[in-house]
Amino acid sequence: MADVRLEGVKKRFGDVEIIKGVDLAVEDGRFCVFVGPSGCGKSTLLRLIAGLENVSEGRVTIGGRDMTSVPPANRGTAMVFQSYALYPHMTVAENISFGLRMAKAPKDEIERRVARAAGMLQLDHLLQRKPAQLSGGQRQRVAIGRAIVREPGVFLFDEPLSNLDASLRVQMRIEIGKLHQDLGATMIYVTHDQVEAMTLADQIVVLSAGRIEQVGSPLELYHRPRNLFVAKFIGSPTMNTLPVEVLGQDAGGLKLALPGGKPILLPQAPGLSGSTPTLGVRPEHLTLGEGRDATLNGKVRLTERLGSETMLYVDLGHEAEVVVRADGLSRVRPGDVVPVGLSKESCHVFDAGGNAVLNGALM
Amino acid sequence: MFPAPIQDKGPVIGTAYRVTLVVALIVWLLPLVGIGLTSIRSIDDLNQGNFWGWPEETRFAENYTGVFTQSPMARFLLNSILITVPAVGLAVALSAMAGYALAKYRFPGNLLLFAVFIAGNFVPFQILMIPVRDLFVNVVPLYDTILALVIFHMAFQTGFCTLFMRNFIRQIPDALIEAARVEGVSELRIFWHVVLPLVRPAMAALAVLVFTFVWNDFFWALVLVQSDEARPVTAGLQALRGTWTSAWQLLSAGAIIAALPPVAMFFLMQRHFIAGLTLGATKG
Repeated sequence: MADVRLEGVKKRFGDVEIIKGVDLAVEDGRFCVFVGPSGCGKSTLLRLIAGLENVSEGRVTIGGRDMTSVPPANRGTAMVFQSYALYPHMTVAENISFGLRMAKAPKDEIERRVARAAGMLQLDHLLQRKPAQLSGGQRQRVAIGRAIVREPGVFLFDEPLSNLDASLRVQMRIEIGKLHQDLGATMIYVTHDQVEAMTLADQIVVLSAGRIEQVGSPLELYHRPRNLFVAKFIGSPTMNTLPVEVLGQDAGGLKLALPGGKPILLPQAPGLSGSTPTLGVRPEHLTLGEGRDATLNGKVRLTERLGSETMLYVDLGHEAEVVVRADGLSRVRPGDVVPVGLSKESCHVFDAGGNAVLNGALM
Repeated sequence: MFPAPIQDKGPVIGTAYRVTLVVALIVWLLPLVGIGLTSIRSIDDLNQGNFWGWPEETRFAENYTGVFTQSPMARFLLNSILITVPAVGLAVALSAMAGYALAKYRFPGNLLLFAVFIAGNFVPFQILMIPVRDLFVNVVPLYDTILALVIFHMAFQTGFCTLFMRNFIRQIPDALIEAARVEGVSELRIFWHVVLPLVRPAMAALAVLVFTFVWNDFFWALVLVQSDEARPVTAGLQALRGTWTSAWQLLSAGAIIAALPPVAMFFLMQRHFIAGLTLGATKG
């Protein structure tokens, strides 16, 4: 069991700075997920924690011990790779026990641990197979088994499910969640799939261009994004943004002009400077019909019918378009003109620099 | 489909193709057939000028035992083995290690070092003749010993072998090595238990290739040794010509015997080529 702390961690490859100063604390037993767009440095950050890369600046501590220059083997971490990284010439049992055998662990101890891991992952009947004879999901389980037998304080997962097909991914996601419950170990998990992030994490770290944008629980990030980047990165379809103008702000609240000029009155946002902020509202918080606090009219450009719901792409004119999440059986057709309603509880306001000055009142 | 099958090309090209094929085969195989026939002829047959016809009497057993009883053929063969096996073993072993370092470790000058290995392959070996002979006569007094040839071949082949092994090892996913590293496996054990088993097919292919190079070497055998005690079979056969100027039937038999080990080596290692590199462990 161990907590992981990063203090002012930077990583440079030559002249290129990939990680630009990261401070992070992952408490013992937490499930922490790193998300971010490609190239944001999330995998590099994981490799820094594993010790596969050396930090250029800063400190990494695991379980209270400074691990900054400790080799990967002695950090008490186990890593599961995106490519599974199974040794093709070894059987499943040999793959799982490889590290223990190399460390000259007693035979009965190895057998006990392998049996336990195989039992947890339903690999018992596959132990004598070679990786080439396994399906993708089974290979992934072997890779996880290899991590479990080391009984590490910290599990590191580098996009472990991205090579699996969709249905298997859902199943493995649930299994990893269950594994976390059973083992109670600290887990750090890198993914670009925000569904994985939302469902698995106690704590999500959103990264962008080598910096942490926000750290928080999944719902916190969803409902109280600190800036426009996080707001647009978390949630699918992405949050709608509308250019608005400040009409005035006083004790009564913040009065904004929506595209087309209609006003909306929001709670006070003392931090707001500038006169052209951005209004953000999630697709499921828009309603088809009269809104409580404002209503816009627009023409439906496209409908995406997903069965359980329908995504309506509504052109509001004035170069503004929003996505509205409607009922799965919605009768709206492309070309229809529909009213789109807003309520002030679900509106986010971001200043010109993209920082949130108002986060609605849903959470 | 590309290239288009020759059958679809029309009768003219089809016929031309068949004719060319047969001509090429004859040109390629005729010397081999000639040596094969000569090796079972009697000397009288040759003296009468029957070079290509069927032998008057086949003297298979006489000639193939004769080359051993009437010349130091056994000694030459033994020398060839004593030179080739250690040279190949050492070259492949060294190059596997060097190749691993060049392929998987980041260190300053990595690429430069690799370039040196490649460049070494482009040095025409003839220009090394005088300095290398000088080296073994004056600096390391190993001239006219088997060890001289072992050392030279090992050193000379390592360049090519390293190029080959480095490129092969580079294809092994880094994740395999990193996974072992995270598990606390030492670098040497990673090399031994993870990398070597995966490059076994490459090493087998390389061993056969280098075995053939070294076994068939004539030039350096001529330059670095001169006594029958150290001569490999290639240089030894040539020396036979001086002793029995007309014993072509024995020379041919010797040549065929000398060609057998590389062929045997190929069949021995074939299993490993077919096994192929199974990197099915990563991805589908």
